[in-house]
Amino acid sequence: MEHEIVLKPEVLGYLGVLPVTNTLLVAWITMAILIILALFIKFRMKTIPGKFQNLIEIVIDTGYKTVEEMAHNKTKLFFPIVMTFFLYILISNWFGLFPGFATIGFYEQGEHGQTFVPLLRSINSDLNMTLGLALLSVAITHIFAIKFLGLKGYLKKWFSLEMFGVFLFVGLLELVGEFTKIVSLSFRLFGNIFAGEVVLATISNIFAFIVPLPFYFLELIVGFVQAAVFMMLTLVFMVLLSEKHGDEH
Amino acid sequence: MEKILADFGIQPILLLAQVVNFLVLLFILKKLLYQPILKVLDERKKKIEQSLIDAQSIELKLVQTEEDREKKLAKASEEAKQILDEATKSANLVIEEAHLKASKDMEEILQKGQESINAERSKMHQEIREELADLIEVSLEKVAGKILTTKDQKELVQKTIKQL
Repeated sequence: MEHEIVLKPEVLGYLGVLPVTNTLLVAWITMAILIILALFIKFRMKTIPGKFQNLIEIVIDTGYKTVEEMAHNKTKLFFPIVMTFFLYILISNWFGLFPGFATIGFYEQGEHGQTFVPLLRSINSDLNMTLGLALLSVAITHIFAIKFLGLKGYLKKWFSLEMFGVFLFVGLLELVGEFTKIVSLSFRLFGNIFAGEVVLATISNIFAFIVPLPFYFLELIVGFVQAAVFMMLTLVFMVLLSEKHGDEH
Repeated sequence: MEKILADFGIQPILLLAQVVNFLVLLFILKKLLYQPILKVLDERKKKIEQSLIDAQSIELKLVQTEEDREKKLAKASEEAKQILDEATKSANLVIEEAHLKASKDMEEILQKGQESINAERSKMHQEIREELADLIEVSLEKVAGKILTTKDQKELVQKTIKQL
């Protein structure tokens, strides 16, 4: 069965005005998984941890220490956001590797004849999802910047008249950089995961047994790395933007 | 730009949906996962720190107790030695006193014995003398009775006895 490479997510149905795409459905499932996990932890919390709690503790603790290294006194504020980015992206990337993704679906009569509509599709192979995360990441970064620097200090970062207007130019460049951030964050994640999907589909079409296994391992690593990259970049942007101008030694 | 967005199937409502997803997830995970875990980790850290401090103080106390014990032992042994010394001293004193007293007593007894012996002896001397005088008187009477008067005889006897 040949899979067509589709950039757009397939719409499964409508919930009011909201088109429920297959990626959005998987996003909800991923959220449900994470929430159930959190509930499980919350109501089974012990001072002397079991194996499962221990694993979760290690993940959370490592994340916290990583954030603390860079954010110092702002850790309490940054950590939940950064960690949620990491967990959400990681779980959705890995969840997308499960069997059934892109294979279980139904045929729909479209404009160009019959098309296959998979029920499940890895979240981040849809630019809507990654762009949503990237926009949110940059937006939160700027909100924190305003919170820590004040509106005046925040604006000064972009429109400074020091050094005879040289910094005005620099500020403008940086302003462009902010838009680049959105594009790089969203397209990096989307590109990696989408490419992974395509590679897996292609390899599976060549020979479905054993041969795709190394690629699955590769995708596991890619899924983790992309989640970590998104997390670290968001963290670095937050730290840099909410830093006072003279603070950088 | 429009075309690119359309190609990727970007729809503002889907972006919003994802943003809402994330915010919901953020809120729930913060309440249910991060806060409890970090709290437990913090509590455990504090507990470990506390127990480390406790262990240190216990060790210190142990050393102190050991020192105390040794000090007390040393003191006790010193006291015992002192008591023993005193006891020996007083015993010696008692013995010496006893010795002294015994020797004194003995001397006294000896003296008394000597005295009584002396007294006995002088008494005996006296008796012997008297008997001797009687004897001499009798023998003198027998020898010189006819020549001397009784008065002369007695004088003579007395003189002789004195010269003896």
